[in-house]
Amino acid sequence: MKISLSWLDDFLATGLDTPALDDTLTATGLKVEAIESAGVSIQNLVVAKILESLPHPDADRLSVCQVDDGSGSPRQIVCGAKNYKVGDKIPLALPGAVLPGNFKIKPGKLRGIKSEGMMCSGKEIGLGADSAGLLILPPDSPIGHPISELFPSETVIELEITPNRPDWLSHYGVARELGAFLQKPVSFSPPPLPPTIEDSSLASCETPVCPFYSLRKITGVKVKQSPEKIRRRLESIGLRAINNVVDITNYVLHELGQPLHAFDAAKVSGPICARQARDGEEFLALDGKTYRLTPEDTVIADSAQVLALAGIMGGSTSGVTETTTDVLLESALFLPQAIRKTSRRLALQSDSSYRFERGIDPEMVLVAAAQAANQIADIAEGTPAPSSCTTGALPAKSATVSLRHAKCEALLGTSLSPTEIASALRRVGMTQLSENEGVTEWQPPSFRHDLTREVDLVEEVARIIGIEKIPSRAASLAAPQSPADAAYDFQNLLREKLVASGFCEAKLSTLVSASQLGEKENSAIRLKNPLGEDQSFLRPSLLPGMLQAAQRNFHAGTKDVRIFELGSVYSNTGTEQQGSLGLLASGPARETNWLEKKPADFTFFDLKAVLQSLFPSLLRFENTEKKNLVVASLILCGEIEVGFAGILEPAAARLLDATAEILVAEISWPALQSTQTKNTGKFSPIPKFPSTSRDLALILPEAVPYATVESILLACNEPLLASFAPFDLFRDPEGIRLPANKKSLAISLTFRSSERTLASSEIDAATEKIRVLLKQNLPVEFRE
Amino acid sequence: MEDKIRSIREAATTSVDAANDLPTLDAIRVRYLGKTGEISLLSQSMRDLSKEERPRFGSLLNEARSLVTDAIEQKTRALEAVAEKSRYAQFDATLPGPTLSRGASHPLTQLMGKAVAIFRRMGFSLADGPDIETEFHCFDALNTPADHPARNEQDTFYLPDGRLLRTHTSSVQIRVMENQPPPIRIIAPGAAYRRDEVDATHLAQFTQMEGLYVAESVSLADLKGSLEFFFRELFGAETQCRFRPHFFPFTEPSYEIDIRTALLGDSWMELAGCGMVDPAVFEAICQKRGDRAFDPEKISGFAFGFGLDRLAMNLLAIPDIRMLVETDLRFLRQFAN
Repeated sequence: MKISLSWLDDFLATGLDTPALDDTLTATGLKVEAIESAGVSIQNLVVAKILESLPHPDADRLSVCQVDDGSGSPRQIVCGAKNYKVGDKIPLALPGAVLPGNFKIKPGKLRGIKSEGMMCSGKEIGLGADSAGLLILPPDSPIGHPISELFPSETVIELEITPNRPDWLSHYGVARELGAFLQKPVSFSPPPLPPTIEDSSLASCETPVCPFYSLRKITGVKVKQSPEKIRRRLESIGLRAINNVVDITNYVLHELGQPLHAFDAAKVSGPICARQARDGEEFLALDGKTYRLTPEDTVIADSAQVLALAGIMGGSTSGVTETTTDVLLESALFLPQAIRKTSRRLALQSDSSYRFERGIDPEMVLVAAAQAANQIADIAEGTPAPSSCTTGALPAKSATVSLRHAKCEALLGTSLSPTEIASALRRVGMTQLSENEGVTEWQPPSFRHDLTREVDLVEEVARIIGIEKIPSRAASLAAPQSPADAAYDFQNLLREKLVASGFCEAKLSTLVSASQLGEKENSAIRLKNPLGEDQSFLRPSLLPGMLQAAQRNFHAGTKDVRIFELGSVYSNTGTEQQGSLGLLASGPARETNWLEKKPADFTFFDLKAVLQSLFPSLLRFENTEKKNLVVASLILCGEIEVGFAGILEPAAARLLDATAEILVAEISWPALQSTQTKNTGKFSPIPKFPSTSRDLALILPEAVPYATVESILLACNEPLLASFAPFDLFRDPEGIRLPANKKSLAISLTFRSSERTLASSEIDAATEKIRVLLKQNLPVEFRE
Repeated sequence: MEDKIRSIREAATTSVDAANDLPTLDAIRVRYLGKTGEISLLSQSMRDLSKEERPRFGSLLNEARSLVTDAIEQKTRALEAVAEKSRYAQFDATLPGPTLSRGASHPLTQLMGKAVAIFRRMGFSLADGPDIETEFHCFDALNTPADHPARNEQDTFYLPDGRLLRTHTSSVQIRVMENQPPPIRIIAPGAAYRRDEVDATHLAQFTQMEGLYVAESVSLADLKGSLEFFFRELFGAETQCRFRPHFFPFTEPSYEIDIRTALLGDSWMELAGCGMVDPAVFEAICQKRGDRAFDPEKISGFAFGFGLDRLAMNLLAIPDIRMLVETDLRFLRQFAN
């Protein structure tokens, strides 16, 4: 909401400069969004008339002008503009003037010709963006008159108003709050109220949405342009001036916060009634649009038609125009929720609905009507009816609230005297009704609907005394580890290892398109109201998003892509939201360097190395088939499937413009977190006796994977076998050294005893036992 | 004999001194100490000496042998050292080591990590809750009126079953209080969603951190002191904090916190919302739990929340919020540390 400072001055002389005012508003809870200055406040800037204009002898683009600045003697100005003619009046900056941008005007010479000032464009003096030429002033502008008086400067403050404080939605309301904080009197004398009569032949009320309605006839108005002051003020806060009657209703709304509406009495037939709209009833509003209404909406209607959408907007046919002579001035109270509902449903907001849906001050309804009627009488020369016709009743005073001083002190964490508390509440308009043993009883003012509970009064005390008076205390509490702490720490552990392995952390959107669901189409959760189809599902997997990210990186020229994400995936079966770790790698394993001509690409086994380093000796890999992957491996922890790793199908990688293999993995890390926390990690004695190795070269059919050999060796029950590892894999596609459908797998066996140095015969015997075991279980031959 | 030993010894050490390479040195070793070397031959000629002379010459000879052996040994080591050193003469240690691709945690993670570390030092535990929430946890229990604009389908993502994507991490406050009696001292970092068109300053999904402290006699003074401490730890001791009265349905009194620090351009920046938990929130919890563990007459608390995305943008001078989710490695690798 915009507040004009000069308008605010009508109610309160703050005596503050703009920064201090900003601070005070901020302290009240009125957040200053922007401070704008309109108009001109430049000194030594006057109206001048161009008397003569001759070409500059040494510069084609310049002219030498003689101007009348009101001093009695002509002044010579060299000028580059072309948009004027002799006789025009323009703003003239005299020596000593300081234009925006700290541009100081001094007498000087331009291409050898004396120039004693500067003729200005609108932009140069801070009026508008037009710099096409000089600002040509109206012909009746008095010569020598300060421009600052023609365009008086106006500071406008844009405030953020929180929804709990509709009483701030007017100049008077803001002045009242500032007055409370600055402890300065706010000058507003309500006009005398006319007597009220109830007359259902004039106005009636058929709906509880309108508890109170008032109408006052003003006859003989002369509709014309509003006076300068009203127009300027309305325009300064962003409103358009229309005509004096409409402008006055808007003016009073922004002055006192009470929405008003003026009907052209000639266009109203029969009594005015506030009622429910009929189903399907149509209404042509002032904005030129037709709205189809329902019984949930409230209208102001005469016997023939809907005149206004109650509290929101008037109709286009019943408004005040140039031809209007008699006016019906409406001031009413509508219930917030009903107005909000209609305004939302029709997507129709107005300054009026904005205030009604937050709650207006009931005591202001008739005051504002009288204020507007008086102004219409003054300005539009109308004659208000001696009485105002009303129907319904204004609500009774709101309930009183009691405050325990001890509770106030406890919540604020400071001690306060009863006087401090009472004074703070009085300043915001509360009336103390009683005091009894540390408990005071208060009547909130009519404009504060938000003060209904003890804690609301505590807030007011805190606001008025200021938080800077509250001490700072930072007492702590011993904090036990929560499951969320453990999960956070586990993720950090994974993150640190991944970062050390050269991976960068991605944070991708959890909202994805249908095309990114892959094989999890059926278990994906769809939004009811997505912003677009590309963000319509909660992702069931991290990988589609990561593949898209990889593509963006390839397009950006990055070849070594190494990313991971620790995020959530969602499913409508099983666990709805689950932590997941996604990895993607492609391209050179190391940056280009002087030691290697072309660094090798990151391989599937590099990815496996990273995974194994994350979860040491926990994971098992099993070959599998998976959509879009040319090589796929299930990752198991014990017998639980925790994820997969694989190589993207080359065709899919090419579609992403990858120049190397794309390796991916996704792991459900919460399953692994529990195994990690169970691992107690006890010390095992350091071997005292040396180990000895024997190599076995197995000739195996291609179909037998290493995992089969591994499982046999793991189960072999040979106490002396300490460890084993493959160290060579050999194939001969030519079939010369090895049949083409076979492979040679070399495994190194390490033997050790914790009790003695092993004899060669013992190792030979153990090796032989293993050979026999392998032979029994596999179609294997051994190469010697 | 004695002279002979002396002269052999001197000849040997002189030639050792003069030797400039290992083969020469080896030849010297053979010439003097080899099986038919001069010292070995002298040893053999000891036989011809009298029993009385033998010990003296024996010891002289041994002395000569060990002297020559040592000299050769020393010279060998010296020559080897020279040879090894010369092998590294061309070595340019200023060439760079080949680097692995540079890894980095996400800038938001780094910022969150700093914040979490500070709150943990202050005795806060972590808590979490689901992204998919009920209206009860996201709005009702947080004292949000039924017709509050935030509940609008224009602003909030809904699921067909009526649940929604949480619009703030404040829903975690409710989850924690439902399941755990006071005292509670938690922070909850996580994702939140608003149905905003994505542009340079808006994402539909953003990162927030929520905090809640509920115990007996928690006051506004605790709120102020705790958050001042936090922001000064995060941004430096000279950081100014301004608590600006504000309004949230779930706290009373409510404040927004503005921060002013050189790190953020030395002008006030709106950073967080906070306040004393509204008694209506405690009443909603009591009703849900079916007990009076959160009776606002017995306990009180403060809550706060702030967004990390804007803060990261401001701290790191990131011009477009979308860079945080685009996963451009040219961006992410800048945050390697």
